[in-house]
Amino acid sequence: MASNESSPIIEVRNVTVRYGNRTVLDNVSLSVVPREIRVILGPSGCGKTTLLKTILGLLVPASGSVWLFGTQVGDLDSQETMSLLKRAGILFQNGALLGSLTVEENVALPLQMHTKLPPALVREIVHLKLSQVGLGQAAPLLPEELSGGMRKRAALARALVLDPPVLFCDEPSAGLDPVTAAGLDELLLSLRSSLSITILVVTHELASIEAIADNIVFLYKGGVLYEGPLSGAKLLAEGPVFDFFMRKDSAPGRTQAASEFPFLVEQTA
Amino acid sequence: MAPVFELPASVNREWVEHEGRSLLSLRTADAPVLDASKTVLVDSAGISLLTYVAGQHAKTGRKLVLRNASGALLSALGQGAKSHEPAPLRAVQGENFFGRVGEFALSLYNSLVLALSMLAEILYWSSLGLLKRRDFRKGAIEQQMYQMGYKAVGIVGLLSFLIGDVLALQAAMQLEHFGAGIFLAPMIVISMIKEIGPLMTAIILTGRNGSAITAEIATMVVGEEIDALRTMGIHPVQFVIVPKFFALSLTMPLLSITGSIVGLVGGYLVAVFYLDISSGLFIREMMKNIVFADVVANIVKSVVFSWLIIWIGAFHGFRVRGGAEAVGKETTASVVMGIFAIIIADAAFSFIF
Repeated sequence: MASNESSPIIEVRNVTVRYGNRTVLDNVSLSVVPREIRVILGPSGCGKTTLLKTILGLLVPASGSVWLFGTQVGDLDSQETMSLLKRAGILFQNGALLGSLTVEENVALPLQMHTKLPPALVREIVHLKLSQVGLGQAAPLLPEELSGGMRKRAALARALVLDPPVLFCDEPSAGLDPVTAAGLDELLLSLRSSLSITILVVTHELASIEAIADNIVFLYKGGVLYEGPLSGAKLLAEGPVFDFFMRKDSAPGRTQAASEFPFLVEQTA
Repeated sequence: MAPVFELPASVNREWVEHEGRSLLSLRTADAPVLDASKTVLVDSAGISLLTYVAGQHAKTGRKLVLRNASGALLSALGQGAKSHEPAPLRAVQGENFFGRVGEFALSLYNSLVLALSMLAEILYWSSLGLLKRRDFRKGAIEQQMYQMGYKAVGIVGLLSFLIGDVLALQAAMQLEHFGAGIFLAPMIVISMIKEIGPLMTAIILTGRNGSAITAEIATMVVGEEIDALRTMGIHPVQFVIVPKFFALSLTMPLLSITGSIVGLVGGYLVAVFYLDISSGLFIREMMKNIVFADVVANIVKSVVFSWLIIWIGAFHGFRVRGGAEAVGKETTASVVMGIFAIIIADAAFSFIF
């Protein structure tokens, strides 16, 4: 189904996800409109990656629903969900390149599987995408021969090879040096302007958030604590969102315990 | 008067190991005083010792006195006190007998459901599913045939030759007593073609290919490669398993026949060189005993065994949860389970053929 400018391209409605008895996401809702770069952020363990996996259908929510391009994401093996996901590019946290294939074969895979393009043209597209992410020379290498950053960029090339209208990135700049991370952010911004794609990024890298985010969703303990523009989040004067941007530790219990210093301190001359 | 203990310049692990540990067994009426005038350095063992001792005394309502401690020492101890909250223990479930039995039964049931659905998926995606979609790369079957079949020729040939050799030699020693050496021919033919050929090939390939399949898939699961395939709209069973399924189904009967023939060569050499039976006579006797039904049994058995290897390998691979250790565990379980299933299936076949 085609989405027009106003209707959301990604919609999460009251999703609750549990691992066993532990509730990881509690009644989370959000919607992302076309051409938006939305950043999901929050402290480690707040459920960011879980939310992303739920949107992609890799985790089944205990309640609630996820809608992509106006169609509900259901069982991952179903024909409908598979064809839905073909229209989304996904960059996994560690790249998730297939270890037995070269970089070129990895990037070519979606084209070979989902298009009928002649091999010469597939090669051409693969090289175009690889040079876009600055990996033109790495085509014949195996993933194990690449550095962490290169692997991530190769995975980005694979995610973009079908020119998807929506791109999901899980921690795109984690583990990268600041220059490479900034380059990756610029690439995401230029993709949005050149291809008009919608991007959902999960990250907790402050520099990256400031560079790319149109709107943010701040997750805290499985719930949405703040949703809106980054500038609005920065106006908050207290609470976990404020602490996050001020790089303060707001984990309860830890500061509390510090007051119970078990020694009696005395100073003599 | 409270006892005073002088702390050394370095309250480090070495000091804790030798002298400092005596603080743990300290029993005094008043809370002791720790004089830290000299202390300039404290490491994590030192912090933990002091915090622990202080905690023990605090339980009896007394506070350990720390005299002349430097700012650095106090802030280090402050960090130690922060972490002094007891860490929550991992919940232990099924502590009692019935709990454990119930948990075991549930996990067995879940495994069974998972195993059967994996079998159904493999059979579906390699037959009817192919009409719907074809999610494996061009040349994948040929590549797998080379990896799993051609590359195993050497090991299957060598082991089958040795087994044929040993089997013939042991039988020859007995048959020679009765002057019945020529009966070695039917014995070796029937046992190699009908039984040992497919069984040995299957056991070798379980160790070689079954483990490889599990390890490959498990590593892909752990490295999110399977998730990546799914989200690319590529069915992982068809992409990873189906080429292997066809490759092994095609190469395993060939390997089994090859193994059987090489085993017969082993038997032939024993007959000719150990029993001094004429080469022509032995070959004639062998040919006379090669029955079409036995060759069919060989092929049918090896095809079924190849399916068992793929099924069990894939089941254990997709089941993995966790990291490197889990991959190792599932690989071991896959080989053990594979060999077990093959022997059971072979026993079942004995009633059919």
